[in-house]
Amino acid sequence: MWKTTARRMTIMVPQIVLLSILVFLLAKAMPGDALTGLLDPSIDPAALDEQRERLGLNNPWYVQYWDWAVKALHGDFGQSFRFKMPVSDLIGQRMTNTVWLSLLTLALTYLIAIPLGIISGRYHDTWADRAITGYTYLGFAAPLFIFALILLWVFGFHLGWFPTEGSVAPGTASGSLAYVMSKIYHILLPALSMALITTVTTVQYLRSEIIDTKQKDFIITARAKGASESRVYNRHILRNSLLPIAAFFGYEITGLIGGTVFIESIFSYPGMGQLFLSSISLRDFSVVTALVLLYGAASILGALLSDTILSFVDPRIRIK
Amino acid sequence: MMKPGWTRSFFMPLLLVFTLMLAACSNDGNTNVTNAPAETEEEAGTTPAEGEESATPAENEKPVADDGLYSIDDFSNVKKNEGEPIKGGSITFGLVSDTPFEGTLNWNFYSGDPDAQVLSWFDEGLLTWDKSYVYTNDGAATYEVSEDGRTFTFTIKDNVNWQDGKPVTAEDWLFAHEVIGNPKYDGPRYDSNFINIVGMKEYHEGKAKTISGIEVLGEKKLKITYVQSTPSLLTGGIWTYPLAKHIFGNMPVEKISSSPEVREKPIGFGPYKVESIVPGESVVYVKNPDYWRGEPSLDKVVLKVINPTTVIQQLESGGVDLVDSFPVNQYPDNADMSNVEYLGTIDRAYTYIGFKLGTWDAKAGKVVPNAKAKMADVNLRKAMWQAVDNDQVGKQFYHGLRWNATTLIPPSHPEYHDSANPGVKFDPEAAKKLLDDAGYKLNGEYRTKPDGSELVINFISMTGDDIAEPLAQYYVQSWKAIGLNVQLEMVEFNTFYDRVGANGEDDPKVDVYQGAWGVGIDVDPAGLYGPEAIYNFPRYQSPEQDKLLAAGISKEAFDVKVRQGIYKEWQQLMVDEIPVFPTLYRAVLVPVNKRILNYAIGDGTGIYLYQLAVSQDKPVVADK
Amino acid sequence: MEQAYANNPAPPAAPVTPPQDAEKSPSGWKILWREIVRDKLALASLIFLGAVILSVYGVSLVLDQEQIVTVDLFALNKPPSAKFWLGTDYGGRDVFGQLIIGTRNSLSIGILVTLLTGLIGILIGLVSGYFGGLIDNVFMRFVDFFMILPTLMVVIAFVTAVPNYGIVSFSLIMTAFLWMGIARLIRSKALQERELEYVQASRTVGSSHLKIMFAQVLPNLSSIIIVTMTLNLAANIGLESGLSFLGFGFPESTPSLGTLVSYATNPQTLEFRWWIWLPASILILILMLCINNVGQALKRATDARQRKG
Repeated sequence: MWKTTARRMTIMVPQIVLLSILVFLLAKAMPGDALTGLLDPSIDPAALDEQRERLGLNNPWYVQYWDWAVKALHGDFGQSFRFKMPVSDLIGQRMTNTVWLSLLTLALTYLIAIPLGIISGRYHDTWADRAITGYTYLGFAAPLFIFALILLWVFGFHLGWFPTEGSVAPGTASGSLAYVMSKIYHILLPALSMALITTVTTVQYLRSEIIDTKQKDFIITARAKGASESRVYNRHILRNSLLPIAAFFGYEITGLIGGTVFIESIFSYPGMGQLFLSSISLRDFSVVTALVLLYGAASILGALLSDTILSFVDPRIRIK
Repeated sequence: MMKPGWTRSFFMPLLLVFTLMLAACSNDGNTNVTNAPAETEEEAGTTPAEGEESATPAENEKPVADDGLYSIDDFSNVKKNEGEPIKGGSITFGLVSDTPFEGTLNWNFYSGDPDAQVLSWFDEGLLTWDKSYVYTNDGAATYEVSEDGRTFTFTIKDNVNWQDGKPVTAEDWLFAHEVIGNPKYDGPRYDSNFINIVGMKEYHEGKAKTISGIEVLGEKKLKITYVQSTPSLLTGGIWTYPLAKHIFGNMPVEKISSSPEVREKPIGFGPYKVESIVPGESVVYVKNPDYWRGEPSLDKVVLKVINPTTVIQQLESGGVDLVDSFPVNQYPDNADMSNVEYLGTIDRAYTYIGFKLGTWDAKAGKVVPNAKAKMADVNLRKAMWQAVDNDQVGKQFYHGLRWNATTLIPPSHPEYHDSANPGVKFDPEAAKKLLDDAGYKLNGEYRTKPDGSELVINFISMTGDDIAEPLAQYYVQSWKAIGLNVQLEMVEFNTFYDRVGANGEDDPKVDVYQGAWGVGIDVDPAGLYGPEAIYNFPRYQSPEQDKLLAAGISKEAFDVKVRQGIYKEWQQLMVDEIPVFPTLYRAVLVPVNKRILNYAIGDGTGIYLYQLAVSQDKPVVADK
Repeated sequence: MEQAYANNPAPPAAPVTPPQDAEKSPSGWKILWREIVRDKLALASLIFLGAVILSVYGVSLVLDQEQIVTVDLFALNKPPSAKFWLGTDYGGRDVFGQLIIGTRNSLSIGILVTLLTGLIGILIGLVSGYFGGLIDNVFMRFVDFFMILPTLMVVIAFVTAVPNYGIVSFSLIMTAFLWMGIARLIRSKALQERELEYVQASRTVGSSHLKIMFAQVLPNLSSIIIVTMTLNLAANIGLESGLSFLGFGFPESTPSLGTLVSYATNPQTLEFRWWIWLPASILILILMLCINNVGQALKRATDARQRKG
């Protein structure tokens, strides 16, 4: 078990290296560079070239990659050309926002999924089940961006219940209670719109798990022994059905990564996804590279986490 | 002194619609450091600008548009004051952008328009300028010019102090020059204006320890000698932003832009002080009671980034009182918003169609015209101009808030724009005849070259705003109507400038392109059309133009009448030769909450930010 | 969230499949079909889907695409009328025509990507699972690498780096980063399958590996492949429209459903000109619903315990 984890960890290293080379090459292949946008006729092209030289943009890609990789190993991901600050600091700022958003989304996802899944599984083939299944069908089909756009419009604009941009109200002192409340208030709608969509797969899964477990021998035995229905559910069925759900926690993280890009751009929420999109248009390569790596690392860790939990929960996997 | 109009269109390729707004409004010389980083509070004091005398108050409130068309003539650039100012008060300023601001909060280092908006509340330049963009003596410093026009002596006013109480000194001003001239400097300011300072080149190359052309004459007195005296020096050719030496003096130059003194607790000598910053999102300012012009009326200003999609809601609800820019295409649907007054002015920008007439010689740093280029025949170019109906484009796509352009100096420079020059008029029949006469014979649907070979013209245009693609399509259709086979390719911003030749390597597959330039406050067009300008994308050169461009910045041209004559001739030359033709001029509109007093947009209004006041405690809310 | 899971069907999207011991009833196809016919909703969805596909491809043959993307200065933003059934957009272009062409383009990409990813996934999965051992190990490390790629980001970076792309090249880019899920699934199935008697029997009779793999193992996996590909189709259409929405899809002259929806990011369009974005949004929703309905019904068919009939 621990061996598997350790092996997975060692595989991670070449994976990350490969990923970094891929991203680096892609970045270099994009037309233009960070200085393309600075079309100011009063600046001598020679001065721009001087800057390119200083930034190392004129070197062949493998030299640039090597320089970058050596620094990256020391935790220095370079300077953002646009923000004129170290990439790690910049991403640090944005990451806090994205992490908050993701955490709340995860929390909401489970808060919605667990009761709905249980109701739907336990009272399988009742009107409640049908309503919930209907919702999961819809949620499964609705593209996140359309759904988020509509929520923003209805609750952000027309009803005005939620702020429509930013991560915190201006002027609230960092660390104060008001600050925390304001942060939560700002991420509630984005997180909710993502959670309502992402949760449906978990609901579906939980439902079919419960339906499956209901018919298993040990449950039938428990019933036969005269255990009360609620005891059967709480002690036997739920425990068995919820564990795999917990295991998907890691995969949820991977899923969130794609979602936050849409959500952040729709809700103008200054997180990593939004930073990624703007950095790519403005050719702020050091930021793009670092972000993709970070996302890559997050999905590796997410998958690792899930597999680890899963191997505790489901011995079948351990055998493989 | 010019920059491309769409430089700052962040997210251009992303969210097609958001960009229009940025594209439409971000091109007021803000990247163009030397001059107008923040017109609004820096304009020098003359009477309120042109235009509004003609507009009666009623028109002012709701420019009438029976035909769904509007005209910039119906807008004033100065807010009409209603009610009496109250003491103190606080306002919210909306920075309209779909990306966070970068946070390089120092004039000497910033590069994006959003940062400039943040900066202009707490810091300013030492000189101000008038309506025609000429430096005045009303700012924080005054200046005198020597007989030969090369040496300037500046005196900073005694009560001009940094917000930490230290005086703004000549040393600080010199220090700014030293930092920007330093080879390790990482901002975008080291440009031709700096190279024009005596000794700057040597200093930049490390051959001299000091800049010989700059001399500190006293605590508040500075003398700068320039290599060449030109009228452009007086219109934005001087670097007027000091850098606090007592703060940055001991910092390595390459570290300044990322230091907390720039990013987290910046200071300036403007009317408001930064109290707190949420990076990229918002800034809270409080008044600077020691501001050199006098104590500001407002207690507090909150600046927050708002998404272009939410501008209307924020304005209606009073969530913001002011915005830095407003998407003109949203105006027609919201013209009657009851709680705001729309201010308007003419943008210093134009859209244009350019023709590739040569290539760039990177070694020599020169354009090389090619007489055999596909577009080399002026008749072909003229026919293409005649074929497009920009008057209708302006009316239909932009409800009259962009309109047919005639010459390459836009009416935002009323002194130099030749309004008597009609340009080339829409006349497809004449275009067909012109092509017939020039030998471009119709062969089936399309015309051939005079030598009978196939003529396919490749046209590239930028994606970005909402209307970008239909507009380009429209041009292609118009050219098809006169028998020209034009192939359109829409490319995103970076690719566009790469292929047009911003890096000196012109893509030979581009024959025609559509671009936009934001024009600086100085009219000299050499940076865009001169023989040594890499941004001369058409790669056009002619002896006549060389002569005119040189004359425009000669000593004689200090006489405004002479200079006007020269540029009038140049505008006509461009209409005759058509290396590019202008398509549209643009209006800038800014809605302002009715409670706001003493506010104006544009240059030379004599209204300053410290005078900004409100007539009631809370913003006026729109009645729906 | 289809897009996020698109490369990752191992988690929730398809997790229900592994534990069931798919009974080898003689005709997997018949069961699939029977299940669909039984499930009225799925049947209706299938019929509707077929109708949409037929009409979209049929009508787009008749429609003059050039006419549709022709800009008409004097018909900007016109509401629906007899001439323009769904009005016009800000370029005076017929929205109905764009909707047809856009649906066709989105469907084409979705189907193409699904087929391509299916093909690659089946090949790699089958070979890997059937042979196992070293081959499996090498292939799976390869798959592992692709699995960890943040798909959306990498596709965006790729699309930015490739300045010119058409429907086919765009599909290829998407395919390059989306084939792993199905490969993994097929591999694990093939692993199970090769232990079964019939495979062993064939080997002793002397059938070639190729023949066993494609003539015997593959048909046994067909129902699971169909289910996965159906669900993938929905995910791929979602991903394509999402990319177009973010602006990393096609230029306006090649409309897709996502392009039409992205017009709604303009508040004016969203609020006052529903005819531009609403039909496309609804159509995406219905298409996805139908595809998923069919997919879910198929999935039930492969899972004996949840079958309706």
